[in-house]
Amino acid sequence: MNIKERKRDGIVILELSGKLMGGPDAVSFDETLKTLLHEGSFNVIVDIGNVSWINSTGLGILISGYSTVRKSGGEMKLLNVSDRIQSIFMVSKLHTVFKSYSDEEEAVNSFA
Amino acid sequence: MKSTKTDIILKVPSKLLYLGVPDAIMMEMAGDLPFSMSDMEMLSTALIEACTNSMEHGNGMNEESFVEMHFSFLEDSVRITVLDNGPGFDHESWVPPEDLMAQRGRGVKIMREFTDELIYDFADDGRFRLTLIKKMKPE
Repeated sequence: MNIKERKRDGIVILELSGKLMGGPDAVSFDETLKTLLHEGSFNVIVDIGNVSWINSTGLGILISGYSTVRKSGGEMKLLNVSDRIQSIFMVSKLHTVFKSYSDEEEAVNSFA
Repeated sequence: MKSTKTDIILKVPSKLLYLGVPDAIMMEMAGDLPFSMSDMEMLSTALIEACTNSMEHGNGMNEESFVEMHFSFLEDSVRITVLDNGPGFDHESWVPPEDLMAQRGRGVKIMREFTDELIYDFADDGRFRLTLIKKMKPE
């Protein structure tokens, strides 16, 4: 998994690409979030439009990240969830946890 | 089930990096077979979970211990067996985590939901074997 970071209207957008499957992915995602929180960026959008697939360990990475951000008083929302990944969210009921958007502007404005 | 012929045999080391290989086979075959892409993706997702379990719990992430897969693309279904060198898995007593925010424990749930049948047994050579079967809707 690769992570690219950018900002739009003060909101951090993390663009993930590749496969989200645990191992080193967990460490890099956790470190990225902790650095952002340390720098004072508490609201984060995670764009997973270029993630080809995710396994249950990868779900754990997103859940861990979500909890980390929430504990710091921020919010983590998802952008561009594919049908394939959405079906996994539905089965695991995580669609009730993660707020997700298909439009970046709408996702950014949701923090206003 | 009209046949149990094996079309493809794949062996990968127990390293998460290789989880994408069986998915690549499934997606490549999805382009040529008259099956629903959604069904192929669901089975592939279940297969990735099976392989993750085999690597982590079966082979203890020992890269010299392989996970072997046998793919059978049948007329109206796909059957995949996954073999590892572990002691097996007590699937009947498994229950999903009650905590929605639990970080682990969803793999079996995903496999059950995304297949029509899961068969857990041991191969003649003693390896643990999980067979995933999914009936395929036409594309």
